[in-house]
Formats: sequence, C-alpha cells, structure tokens
Amino acid sequence: MESSITVLDMARSLARHSATRQALITDNVANADTPGFKAQDIKPFAEIYRAPGGEAPRTSFVPAATRAGHTGGGAQASGMAGLPGMEVLQRTKVGAPSANGNTVSLEDQMARGAEIKLHHDMALGIMRKSMDILRATLGRRG
Amino acid sequence: MSDLLNSMTAAASGMDAQATRLRMVSENIANADTPGFRRKTISFEEVHAQGDARAVATGRIHLDQTELERVLDPSHPMAGADGFYDGSNVDLMVEIADAREAGRSYEANLRMFDQTRRMVGSLFELLNR
Repeated sequence: MESSITVLDMARSLARHSATRQALITDNVANADTPGFKAQDIKPFAEIYRAPGGEAPRTSFVPAATRAGHTGGGAQASGMAGLPGMEVLQRTKVGAPSANGNTVSLEDQMARGAEIKLHHDMALGIMRKSMDILRATLGRRG
Repeated sequence: MSDLLNSMTAAASGMDAQATRLRMVSENIANADTPGFRRKTISFEEVHAQGDARAVATGRIHLDQTELERVLDPSHPMAGADGFYDGSNVDLMVEIADAREAGRSYEANLRMFDQTRRMVGSLFELLNR
C-alpha cells in the first residue's frame, strides 16, 4: 500500500496554504492603518499545487522575502521553507492607495478572509471524509 | 498551525493598536476645552515580532504642533491683556472621524481573530474524532 494517500496529501496542502494565507491577510488587516504598508497575499492554491508526478514539486511553498524587513519573516518565517511556489505577492491592490501609501482595503481583505475560511473548511472536510472512508475499509464504524 | 497562531498574534496586536488609538482620541476629546492642550497623535508601525510572527505596534505619541485656538474671553483667569487665551487645538470633527475609523479597524481585526480561532477549532475537532 502506498504510504501517502494523494487525496489526504492534497487536502493537507490546501489546509496549509489556507493557514499561510490567513496569517498574511490578518497581518494586512492589523496594518490597515500603518503608513506605507503594502497589502500582501500569495498565489491561489490551484496555481501552486502540482499533482504527484507533475513537473513542479508539489508541496513546496517558499514565501520569498519581498521587503527589506523580511529577513526573518515572510517566507522562512511562515515555516513554509522548502515548500515551493508560495512567494508573497504584493499585488492585492484594490483601487488607489491611501494618501499615506497604505494599500490595504479592509473590504477586499474581508472577502479574501471569507475565501480562505471556505478553502480551509473544504480541506478539513475532505480529510474528515477520507478518514471515514479509511475507517469503513478497516471495518470500524464511526 | 504556527501560521494560525501567528495570525492570532497579528490580530491581537491590531486590536491593541486600535484600542490605544481610540484611547488617544478619547483623551483629546476629553481635553477639547483644556487651555493650552495639544492633541495627541500616535503612529502605527509594522513590526516583526519573535521570528516569524509579524504584527503592528504603536509608535511614539506626538503632540500636534498646529497653532492653538485663540479664544476671546476677557473674564477667563488665563486671558492676557488683549482678552485672548490659548485654547486647545483639538478639532472634534477630526477626532470623531478618527474614532470611527479606529472602531472599524478594530472590528475587522476582531473578525479575523474570530475566524482564525474557528479554523484552529475545526482543526482540533478533526484531531479529537
């Protein structure tokens, strides 16, 4: 039997992706009034994830340091070192930046937050169902 | 998991910063009629808390150096020879607007905190099955 179950692997990656995104979005919201702060996000899961056997490494996300202050933060900081494709993007600009150079739009961040919750719930739901199926195959109910 | 904990730290720091800002606003409003009072402003800074966690912190308190309002009231004990005394430079309209914004941002942080908490909760729920 294969030691890693693809569907669980995928769900785990999605849950992890959601958690990393959640950390970034919360940081954006916390800095919603910080002068000069640029909103951050990472690429959608579908763009990063590669199925087993695909060309790109499948569960590597590496958030890159995109600002001078990111020496210890961002990529390595999020504990994602070694997981590729998870570079921090500063592209979450909606509308014009405010006068103090801040590009965080609370409404946009809330929408992203809702999306993250949805993805996280989906990942955990898949894990739960997969575990149920595994249990059923083992002949134990519940 | 540590991402989620970092997220909660960031949200908590955001609420703390907004609460401090709200306190400054309250102090300004309370002292709107205090002669010679200069309104306090506070700056926000992005910080990199221990290792991975990133958050927000309040910087130093600044006193607004715009001119104090000259109030004409010869009967006031602090009035000079010309009958004017220095009031405060607090503009209530600005303070109210600031308070509104702080409240809105606080709520956003609270919402993100609550969402992170739920995400951690559902993770644990999965573990406890």
